[in-house]
Amino acid sequence: MIGSPDLVAFTKEDDYGETSPDPWALPEEFSVPLHPLADSNPWAKTSYAKFTKDFILISEFSEQVGPQPLLTIPDDPKICGTFDLNYFSLRIMSVDYQASFVGHPPGTGYPRLSFVEDSRVVLGDSKEGAFAYVHHLTLYDLEARGFVRPFCMAYVSADERKIMLQFQELSLRFSQASECLKAGNRRAFAKELQRKLRDLEYTHSVLQREEGLQREAGPQCMYSAHAVEKANELANVEKSIYEHRDLLRQISSYHHRPRRDPHAVTCQKCITECLSECEVLLDKYAKLANPFSYCDKGKKEDEGQSQINEEGGEDEVNEEEDEGVKRRPSYTPQLIKAKSAKCFDKRLKTLRELCDNTFYEATVELLKDTEKSFRGDLCYLYTRRLDRTLRRKQRVTNFLFEEDLGDEDEDERGTLRPFCAVNHAVDNYTLLNPPPIVLGPEPLELDALEPPHPLDPSSEISRPQELCELGLVGSHLESSPSDQTLETQESSEETKGSFSSDKSGTGQADRQQNLASITSEGPDSDLTPDPDHNTDLERESSSEEMETTAGEDDGDNGGDQTPVSLLEVMSELEASREDECEGATDGACEIQSDLLVPIDTACCMAQEGFLYEASAPETVPHHEQSSYLQPCQTLVVNQEPQAQLPLQDDYTVGSPSSESPAAGLELPVGLLGDAVSRTSAEDGSDCTMSASTGSDRAASPLGYGGVLTLRQRKKHGQGALKFVRQYPFAMQALWCLLSGRTLVVLGADEGRVRRLVAALALFVPAPGKCGERVQAWLSCPFTLTDLQRWKLIGLQRVASPVGSSMLYSLSRYSRYISILDADQKTLRCPPYRGQLLANIADHRTYIRRGSTYFLHLQSMLCRLAAKAFLYTFTHHLHLPVSSTEGSEVVEGRRRCFLQEQLGLGEEDSLILLYLSQLITQQYLQPATGSSAAATCFSFNYTTSVFYKI
Amino acid sequence: MSSGCPPQSPAVAKSEVAIEGECPLLAATFAYWDNILGPRVRHIWAPKGDQFMFLSDGDVTFLANHTLNGEILRSAECGAVDVKFFVLAEKGVIIVSLIFDGELKGDKNTCALSIILPQTELAFYLPLHTICVERLKHVIRRGRIWMQKGYNIISVLSLEIVPIMELLASMKTHSVPEDIDIKDTVLNDDDIGDSCHEDFLHKAISSHLQTCGCSIVVGSNPEKVNKIVRTLCLFLTPAERKCSRLCKADSSFKYDTGLFVQGLLKDSTGSFVLPFRQVLYSPYPTTHIDVDINTVKQMPPCHEHTYNQRRYMRSELSALWKTDCEEDIPPDTVIHTDETFTPDLNIFQDVMHKDTLVKSFIDEVFMLKPGLSLRSTYLAQFLLLLHRKALALLKYIEDETQKGKKPFRSLRNLKTDLDLTVEGDLHIVMAFAEKLRAGLHSFVFAKSMYTSMQERDVLMSF
Repeated sequence: MIGSPDLVAFTKEDDYGETSPDPWALPEEFSVPLHPLADSNPWAKTSYAKFTKDFILISEFSEQVGPQPLLTIPDDPKICGTFDLNYFSLRIMSVDYQASFVGHPPGTGYPRLSFVEDSRVVLGDSKEGAFAYVHHLTLYDLEARGFVRPFCMAYVSADERKIMLQFQELSLRFSQASECLKAGNRRAFAKELQRKLRDLEYTHSVLQREEGLQREAGPQCMYSAHAVEKANELANVEKSIYEHRDLLRQISSYHHRPRRDPHAVTCQKCITECLSECEVLLDKYAKLANPFSYCDKGKKEDEGQSQINEEGGEDEVNEEEDEGVKRRPSYTPQLIKAKSAKCFDKRLKTLRELCDNTFYEATVELLKDTEKSFRGDLCYLYTRRLDRTLRRKQRVTNFLFEEDLGDEDEDERGTLRPFCAVNHAVDNYTLLNPPPIVLGPEPLELDALEPPHPLDPSSEISRPQELCELGLVGSHLESSPSDQTLETQESSEETKGSFSSDKSGTGQADRQQNLASITSEGPDSDLTPDPDHNTDLERESSSEEMETTAGEDDGDNGGDQTPVSLLEVMSELEASREDECEGATDGACEIQSDLLVPIDTACCMAQEGFLYEASAPETVPHHEQSSYLQPCQTLVVNQEPQAQLPLQDDYTVGSPSSESPAAGLELPVGLLGDAVSRTSAEDGSDCTMSASTGSDRAASPLGYGGVLTLRQRKKHGQGALKFVRQYPFAMQALWCLLSGRTLVVLGADEGRVRRLVAALALFVPAPGKCGERVQAWLSCPFTLTDLQRWKLIGLQRVASPVGSSMLYSLSRYSRYISILDADQKTLRCPPYRGQLLANIADHRTYIRRGSTYFLHLQSMLCRLAAKAFLYTFTHHLHLPVSSTEGSEVVEGRRRCFLQEQLGLGEEDSLILLYLSQLITQQYLQPATGSSAAATCFSFNYTTSVFYKI
Repeated sequence: MSSGCPPQSPAVAKSEVAIEGECPLLAATFAYWDNILGPRVRHIWAPKGDQFMFLSDGDVTFLANHTLNGEILRSAECGAVDVKFFVLAEKGVIIVSLIFDGELKGDKNTCALSIILPQTELAFYLPLHTICVERLKHVIRRGRIWMQKGYNIISVLSLEIVPIMELLASMKTHSVPEDIDIKDTVLNDDDIGDSCHEDFLHKAISSHLQTCGCSIVVGSNPEKVNKIVRTLCLFLTPAERKCSRLCKADSSFKYDTGLFVQGLLKDSTGSFVLPFRQVLYSPYPTTHIDVDINTVKQMPPCHEHTYNQRRYMRSELSALWKTDCEEDIPPDTVIHTDETFTPDLNIFQDVMHKDTLVKSFIDEVFMLKPGLSLRSTYLAQFLLLLHRKALALLKYIEDETQKGKKPFRSLRNLKTDLDLTVEGDLHIVMAFAEKLRAGLHSFVFAKSMYTSMQERDVLMSF
């Protein structure tokens, strides 16, 4: 039999087969390649571009030197590499898209300004592998030919598809930048006209005086050639004055013209401001432009000069205007020579001069932000957008494992909202230095600045909408009196990084680092690797090694560049929230007591259209607690997350105030109700103890006081992968976390424990917005209440009396907790024999990178959340079919569903039951968010097993 | 220039195309760079009606200048077709131009084939851009051969310009909305099997996802067809939905290459003839669903489909190259003229790969009560899962191969690590990944396929 290698040898098309080319054969240039490059390497499509990553290019069609590049963003020559910017500028600027008439149109006396709409072009150079979105715009310059200066801003990328698929977003961003430039330009142009008019008026007055003198000196009926020349010059100046006045009028009417571009982005406030400014000028020059305003008062009454003044301005007003002009010391009118400099002698204004520095800076910031938000590979950008769209549709389960989505339209914040970069900068010019984060595309970054309480003194600073509206939020952030509160805040922050820790400094450092990573976070660096990362695979693999070896140690270097002002503001915000929380505790306690009421999952079922209703706070299901919840919602949400957690309040309200002492801590009975015990009064006493010690503490959320960003989570993915690979009993530990059993990570080395906790926190369901359910580092004994609120605890191992009490607490609560010893590498927890986590925690996995593992983990957790959702909301599982059906039958049906429909064993079922319980609570008390989960506390009588490597 | 005489001022020929319904296209133009006169418009196609009045001759010249200005510097490789896309707010138009080189009267000229739409149609047009461009690119390939032979390119270009006008007109009235109400789909049924057989639904969705969301739904009942079309579109992204078309109630549209889902009505004899060539030219393999007889068939996976497609294109262009009569344009006759290429005409085959992802989704989603948005939420979770799995798979391969620098050899590990051991699951996730990274199938599977293809060809030649 002939084998395949033999056959392949025969089939090979080589030189032996065809010695002479077929004259009828189709030349390659007319054909399509059978094996294009993309087949052999789908990542290689863009590799022949001469630049390493996307950039923005601003070019001008100079009337002196032709198309020329002006600026690139980022302003780094390495990015463009050997790419010929001059040639590319020539290519993108070669289209005379403004074929509209400029100058003196026939039949009009004065030159007309051409209000040309922007045009957008996508073009490419297939040979160079460069493609660009090009946004053409026109700026006005009094010195330029036809008063116009054509510019363009181009987003240059090696991926044509990336540009076309994001055309609308690019168009919107660049329209915003263009409007910003044009708004500044109109102001600058109006100012320039103002100066010019003053020069002309001054020149006119001088000429008039000279002419008057000559007339007086000469004979009455004769005019010398010199006098005629002067008169002509005077007439020319007068004409010029009228022309410039008309130009001023035209530029003032800019906003009144109908816009032909339906995609133009305009800021109403900007328009109004600019319009009023222009109108003031116009108004002034309509009167002041009386060419004789510079004449002596005495002469004013002479020779009927008012006849020449077509505008017929009243003398009184002129006087006032004169006063106004005189009061301006900044500009001294100059005499204009009869002949201006030749075209090539004059120096053209720079873009900055044309647009006014403020506007120019704002535009550049906006473009920098645009470049950042479009950075990275298309497939990751695209998937991220889809991801957000889909998550928005499942708000009921997002709290389990997903990072917060924020406001409804938050991701459109940077792209789809009307945006003005200058409006507010004009008033606060000195503060105009927006840090990139503020304009950043990642809504998560802004999530850190939660909407504060209305009474919050810093609310003006932190209101995200406002931040975005302002565009130049940075200026406001910096202008806040953060330095006044910084010290106070710092001292309070020190206690937050860890409990009784002698290494609070590291907490602060970490927090700064953390903040820095938040602030500097553009598109995800891992999933959206920058193109030099793309192209330089050697470097990538080495970085991968670093990632593997250094694990979570590798800090975010970008942190050093974080603007101090932002840190200050963040600190201030936190401080203000803490203050608020103190005031709100009383209100919150009532809520907590309500939360402790046992909840039956079935109660979700009876409500029609419940998911729609869930999003609207006023239509929270008719639960008897809803009336309590409503007034307190704002308080709870706006508090510092740690303060939301029930400490002694839970207990206080749960026992003395209720009829039954244990009512507050009554636990829901789950599927395996027989195995689940209720907390005893004895345990309750522990709570009291905890409360007494816990009241002066503040929990440290995992994110060291901030919201965990996707990037940070991904970074922790590396730690999680490492954990899964290193610990054969990782699956057991993860099962504990996913089934709601508190896991205590014990260790002497704070860094190691913290890293481990950060990695394991990925598996904690409903960790809270700021990781409130995770205590990264605890150096004092914990209590039962702590176990209720924390599902993952990093505990310091110390050899001291404190240490012994800690060990005591560990053994005392061992039936509620699992203990992972990071030093001994052991785990004590109930056994897990399920299959559900086999793919999440397979220590033989071939997944190489933490970010890949994180993606895999995300998909698996998403699946778990979906199953839990299904279990929670499958109505027939929770409701009796007939009135005669007892609760045992319903429970049997649930068990049957879990085992037969979903194919889950006993331990796996516990995961789903726990997740389902969380969903139910979240659904019933959406306003309280993750704190609702604190009520869920159960334990199992199953004996724990000791695992070791 | 080839001739010494001053050139005659070329008249612009116009063809008015009768299109049923409202055609959003204002005009299509073929222009070229005349070495003496500069940019010249050679031919204009416009839909019959008042729209053409929108563009005066001056406008057309202006737009022709736009499309060709700057192209004097063009340094593209011979045969390359570059795309330029203009949004000119001043004129209120969008222009899509395909720039290429071609031989006119013995000279190499830069040419531009453009379509012009009103700017208000930007959002409508953008999702369809790739479809239009890919189809125009191929007709340009054919046109270049025609020009090389000294024949009139206009007749070739008309072969695609007119169908594109028809496509845009049909999409204007029958495109699937971006937001689909689940109530209009099978997923709103009280119980599985109410509208269609359980296994049929599972097969249809599974195959639909395996073929990258590209499906044709044929049947005699337009309501039934459209219900399935909407159901399948639930699994697409909003942009992909805009590239999908419902079937017309009274008569059928023609099959259009490049749409994701399209409903087609059978004729009175109960049949619908699919054009082999057009189906093969679709960017992704297609699932064929017949709602009358509840059958689901699918084309081979992406890598095989792409390979077949390219071979067919090459054969078609070769056939054109060999043609020696201008009147004899061979659009669909390749399979008869080229003896060396014998494509498998039976391109739709049974769905071979069973999956668990869609199976469990279908089983479970009907447990949730309809009408409460529970099912929409569950669907969103399912789609999120698929997108994330696709991204994880892509990243896995990226890591393993150092972004394609090394061949991918660890498919078995991938299946185990990412929980894709069931073939159908793998195919679904691979299809999602293919849309994110074109060429992934060929990269992962093509080598073995080429070997088997060559084996087959050699064996057949014995």
